[in-house]
Amino acid sequence: MSASIAPECNDIKEKYDTCFLKWYSEKYLRGNTTSNECEELFTKYKACLNLALKEKGIDSMLDDARKSMKDSEAGKS
Amino acid sequence: MRVFSSTCTFDYSWEEVSAANWRKYCPWNDKSTHVVAVDTLSRVVDAETGILRTERLITCNQSVPQWVLSLFGGSPTSHVYEVSYVDPSSKKVTMCSTNLTWSNVLNVRETVVYQPSLSNPPSTTDFNQEAKITALCGGWQKIKNKVEEASVERFSQNAKKGREGFEAVLEMSRRVFSEQRDIDSNRLQS
Repeated sequence: MSASIAPECNDIKEKYDTCFLKWYSEKYLRGNTTSNECEELFTKYKACLNLALKEKGIDSMLDDARKSMKDSEAGKS
Repeated sequence: MRVFSSTCTFDYSWEEVSAANWRKYCPWNDKSTHVVAVDTLSRVVDAETGILRTERLITCNQSVPQWVLSLFGGSPTSHVYEVSYVDPSSKKVTMCSTNLTWSNVLNVRETVVYQPSLSNPPSTTDFNQEAKITALCGGWQKIKNKVEEASVERFSQNAKKGREGFEAVLEMSRRVFSEQRDIDSNRLQS
């Protein structure tokens, strides 16, 4: 798996990624799209990541990108 | 604006490709070393359609031409925001991404689609990539052209490396999967 932008989140990210990939291959692709056994790990990983994104000022860059992506998606239709 | 596009076919099923795609930038990929981190920001399955939507932040670290740095400043670390959709019923992965860094100078919008190949859908997958690159710096057309040219050049180098690196990831994924299957079936037998 790839690293996190925040080294302190690497351990929890690794656990989440492993869980997700297993869910994706063994459940999601086989039609079981509703199970969410990785949710707890994802919540922990996100809590760690969001702190780092705020510190680095990336959260505001992301807000801008989300807005402009929405605009261009809307523009397509 | 300049458009960069490329297509290729992978000799792996859509299921294998779409799963391996989540770890395209793992250590098995020794080509795309400019990608230093991949973080998942959000992930949700649409209850009605079963479509999986994922937001990711991709962090790159690569040498930027000196003249670009001296013109625009900044650091060699850059970020990309990516939204992807997996539609399991039509077997289609669509990934849209845009640059977060230098967004006042350059706008890069990339769309990648993975779909079962028409010629042999059960075991091969088509990859289609298109990037629209627009330099935004006001005024000087000459500089804009130069920025766009350099960006397209770098983009196509990275695309080539990405393809080669992904081949390695696909091969390793298949090997690990079959080893895991052997271990599981041995366990069942004993």
